[in-house]
Amino acid sequence: MEIMRVVDELVATQRVSGLQKESLRVLENLKGKLSVATDAVGAPPGEWVITASGSAARYAMPDPSVITDLTIIGIIDHWEDDGGKTDG
Amino acid sequence: MRIMRVEKTLVSTNRIEGLGHRPLLVVREKPGGTPLVAVDAVGCVPGDWVICVGSSAAREAAGSKAYPSDLTIVGIIDHWEGE
Repeated sequence: MEIMRVVDELVATQRVSGLQKESLRVLENLKGKLSVATDAVGAPPGEWVITASGSAARYAMPDPSVITDLTIIGIIDHWEDDGGKTDG
Repeated sequence: MRIMRVEKTLVSTNRIEGLGHRPLLVVREKPGGTPLVAVDAVGCVPGDWVICVGSSAAREAAGSKAYPSDLTIVGIIDHWEGE
């Protein structure tokens, strides 16, 4: 699993039915790369989270038929970004 | 599979139920490398050099085919000096 930070919520009203009504989040990984994940725990922007990717992402959702390849599976209690990408 | 070093336990109180009570550990391939998070299926302590498995094998190693893990520690290496 990876450690990422929730940048913002993402609204995409026009979507395939496979995404159902899952809320989407824009995430930034430790190298600054952005990605979109479905959210299984309800992580607000600014939180450091743990994400599961690939088919594990689907099993992390309450309903595994959701077509996702990245899911937020937990909010990290404490994490300090030790350098690398510093976003000021 | 990959050789990685256990750094510390990662505490996440607010997490999905599917993870159960398995500990999550921060692992790195080399000092200063990007940290990843692995499910601990063998009981490691920080500083151990371990073997991590990914993809669907990670799920089975962590417990069941539906376990939500994409990286699981499957073994502790007896002797390995990191470069």
